[in-house]
Amino acid sequence: MTSLSRTDTNKRTARSTLGRPSLLSTLLIYGLLIAIAFIMLLPFVWMFSASLKLDKDVFRFPIEWIPKDPQWSNYETIWTRIPFLTFFANTLKLTVIITFLQLATSSFAAYAFAKLEFKGRDFLFLAYLGSIAIPWQVYMIPQFILMRELDLVDKHMSLIMLQAFTAFGVFLMRQFFISVPNEILDAARIDGMSEYGIYFRIMLPLSKPALATLTIFSAVFVWNDFMGPLIYLYSESRKTIQLGLRMFIQQYSTDYHLIMAASLISLIPVIILFLAFQRFFVEGIGTTGIKG
Amino acid sequence: MNKWSDWRVVNLLTILLVALIAVSGGVIPSGVSAQDSITLKMTAWDVATTPYWQAVIDAYEAANPNVKVELIDLASADYGEVINVRLTGGDDTDIITVKDIPQYAAMLTRGQVIPLNDYIEAAGLDLSMYSGAADELIFEGSIYGLPFRSDIWILYYNKAIFDEAGLDYPANDITWEEFDALARQLTSGSGADKIYGAHFHVWRSCVQLATVQDGQNSIIAEDYSFMAPMYTMVTSMQKDGIAMDYGEQRAGNIHYSGPFKNGQVAMLPMGSWFIGSLIAAEKAGEFDFDWGVGAFPHPEGVPAGTTAGTLTSLAINAKSNNKDAAWDFIKFYSGEEGAKALAATGNLPAVRTPDVLEIFASLDGVPAEAIEALQTTTVRLELPMHPDVGEIEQILNEEHDLIMTRSVSVEEGLAEATERINEVLED
Amino acid sequence: MGIMKLSTRATTPSKRRRQLTKNLVAYSFILPNLLGFAIFTLVPIVFSLGLAFMSWDGANEISWVGLENFKELRDDTTFNIALRNTLWYVAGTVPLTMICSLGLAMLLNQPIRGRNIFRTIYFFPYVASLVAVAAVWNMLFFPSAGPVNELLRTLGVDNPPRWSASIDWAMPTVVMASVWKGMGYYMVIYLAALQGIPAILYESAKIDGANAWQRFRYITLPMLTPATFFISIMLTISSFKVFDLILIMTNGGPGRATNVLVLHTYNVAFRRFEFGYSSAIAMVLFALVMGITIVQFYMEKRWVEYSQV
Repeated sequence: MTSLSRTDTNKRTARSTLGRPSLLSTLLIYGLLIAIAFIMLLPFVWMFSASLKLDKDVFRFPIEWIPKDPQWSNYETIWTRIPFLTFFANTLKLTVIITFLQLATSSFAAYAFAKLEFKGRDFLFLAYLGSIAIPWQVYMIPQFILMRELDLVDKHMSLIMLQAFTAFGVFLMRQFFISVPNEILDAARIDGMSEYGIYFRIMLPLSKPALATLTIFSAVFVWNDFMGPLIYLYSESRKTIQLGLRMFIQQYSTDYHLIMAASLISLIPVIILFLAFQRFFVEGIGTTGIKG
Repeated sequence: MNKWSDWRVVNLLTILLVALIAVSGGVIPSGVSAQDSITLKMTAWDVATTPYWQAVIDAYEAANPNVKVELIDLASADYGEVINVRLTGGDDTDIITVKDIPQYAAMLTRGQVIPLNDYIEAAGLDLSMYSGAADELIFEGSIYGLPFRSDIWILYYNKAIFDEAGLDYPANDITWEEFDALARQLTSGSGADKIYGAHFHVWRSCVQLATVQDGQNSIIAEDYSFMAPMYTMVTSMQKDGIAMDYGEQRAGNIHYSGPFKNGQVAMLPMGSWFIGSLIAAEKAGEFDFDWGVGAFPHPEGVPAGTTAGTLTSLAINAKSNNKDAAWDFIKFYSGEEGAKALAATGNLPAVRTPDVLEIFASLDGVPAEAIEALQTTTVRLELPMHPDVGEIEQILNEEHDLIMTRSVSVEEGLAEATERINEVLED
Repeated sequence: MGIMKLSTRATTPSKRRRQLTKNLVAYSFILPNLLGFAIFTLVPIVFSLGLAFMSWDGANEISWVGLENFKELRDDTTFNIALRNTLWYVAGTVPLTMICSLGLAMLLNQPIRGRNIFRTIYFFPYVASLVAVAAVWNMLFFPSAGPVNELLRTLGVDNPPRWSASIDWAMPTVVMASVWKGMGYYMVIYLAALQGIPAILYESAKIDGANAWQRFRYITLPMLTPATFFISIMLTISSFKVFDLILIMTNGGPGRATNVLVLHTYNVAFRRFEFGYSSAIAMVLFALVMGITIVQFYMEKRWVEYSQV
């Protein structure tokens, strides 16, 4: 029902559609936005404050939001106590490779699930979905046996193989592709374009928001994954940030001040990624012509 | 025309795929070439922050230049689970460090580690040097690990709080009743100035160990009502504000070291591992009061010096390809030489000859009373060896949690523990 | 599922050949992903599902036990508690997260200054590492002197809940933490979907005199249904599988008050070494989740509006 209007839409900006809200409603909206931002950020403020304390004072009550004697050295300690820089580099490497593979293979597969007819499509798709429904903890051991047979344990390749081909990515991309009007594809087919051509020249350019969304999800997942590296990586030179964070949880003590400092530092790259990518996922199909 | 381009790409992909499979097949290595030197692999935790792992290895490698020992560092909190995945997955790491009894039970009942009896006999090793600790590891006549580290429960106290209250420091011979009374005298203040007379950390063992000190009962029992007096004492201390509330400690992730180092706690029953971390914190200037250690309190009628302890031991993986070399290393690590290296890093080895204790006592910062407090008459293991110990421990933890959060009464909780554990024992 | 009827009746050889080409082209799209997926995920899954009918301690012989593992479920009180808790968690988390994330997306879709900043802030919790989040969350909800209870006391609540230290409030605390952590994630999907709604729809509705609520009800909501559909499925599935958050925040406690199915599976496998039984529990979870998912797919045709099909 909407496909016909899509080209007209591109000429208009999102702003014009909503009109000018009244001053009162603007104030209300800002008030609400700031209140929510406060709820969202409060824990991080506490984390920051805790990261500047001595270990013994982290959980002391009443909460001292501004430490009297800020321990900035905690931010040095996290780099020296453990090889945090190496962990950073490893995590970055894994995140980039896995995210790239995930984007490439799952959007490719999703095109077939969304727009092509073939035998066994629904069954295969159900198998993909079904796999999401099984907790990883249950098949962790058979998977480990497999990885050991392939001699991939304690290699980054093990995590790449595990996480690059997810059902989640396929499902997400399929949902986006499916809403691209068939008329566009049919027109391209009549013009003699192959399915691969359609995928590369029509689908991919149209699905930037979806690709950006998947990039962020995949990157955040890999960045924050703990159980995977826990089971597969043990050499210090191959460990990731999340394993590094757990190094501050020791047998008889937990250095929460260092955990907080390291967590905050490890947030930075992901936040940068989000800032860089958000313009893609908010400039969807409907508003790509914003500048025109 | 487009049909053909589709075909071509399909063909191309097929070729690529076959190539990929061929390449990945080639990656699988064919086995290790014979070498003169041996590399042993050993699992451990907290390697980056715990100096003794490498210290003992260095000592061994110096004496055995043809052997290299490689540490596999696994996260402390998840150590048992990761070991389980690895061993079930057919891992061949030679030496497995045994962190606790549930892990020990899990490995030996499933044949993942080998019995050491033959080795011990051949080497003429006398297990009595572990003063009874090794006996606790014997299951159905076989022993599957040698202890190298052994911590016992002692009593830490803040001398400043005692001085302020004008009370004598706890002697090495106080009963739990005396402990309770003393704690009530030492409690004062409120809010940020609150001083707790005693502190019980959230662990199940902090309450339950005292109930088996007399040797009449075991942590694995058919009836848990014997634990009622101790639970009643601890919960009422928390209710009365003599000790910090359990639920708050859980919710706030409060680690016992924080309140103690902040001078908010007069007496803290805790394991001997805390000595090292207190010394380090004092040196770093985290606190500036005097502290002391005394023997673990005991029930009425039980001799002073009776305490409970934990063992860390080493076992050999049944899938190891270097069992003999692994045995030689274990023997060293758990023996007197390993013990000396361990003591020098501020930890208590399982072998405590006068020489070894001397090394420990002469470390900078160890309180003078420590040696006396560490003289124990009887040490009971925190958890006895039993095939179902993992499952039983979980039930005990859950019921402990319910009693201590005062979600159920002491009697209800213990009755439920009795019922659930009997179900496990009957299976 | 938007199932299109396959034209299976290929009568002439050329038609059959075209169908074959079509299939092969489609498979070539799926293959790179399917290959990795099948080897590293599907094979282990099939193996562990098979284990549900066997008895295995992880080291010794595997033996066939038929339905024994499933019979054992009936008398397993922890399983029943975990099942009930899981349903509670799902019933709490799914609707709350959906409403909150849609609300955030709608709010951020307004023409306002600094919305990039707000968007980023709202996404923060999703990015934070779980160890830190669990500690912080417990801290804010600290029973005696935490900020939340301090606030409640100033508002006149004399006996505020003891949150994660109480068997009655532990689950709501976990649900709140999970909504807080997850809503930024689903907000992103909603935002992307909102951008996909052609502006002209709103304009013509305005010309027709539709008010803000009517525009939301008759344009925004229907146009968002593909995203809502995706979110409801992903959220339901991931809520049924909740594990990390609970393990770190409460470890299933106090007692068994927040024990959930995956945690139970994990404990059965790693504390009792009954891998067969553990798989059987996972099978129940699987059946439950798939049942709901299939119903959702069946219902999809009734309420999800794809722009064509």
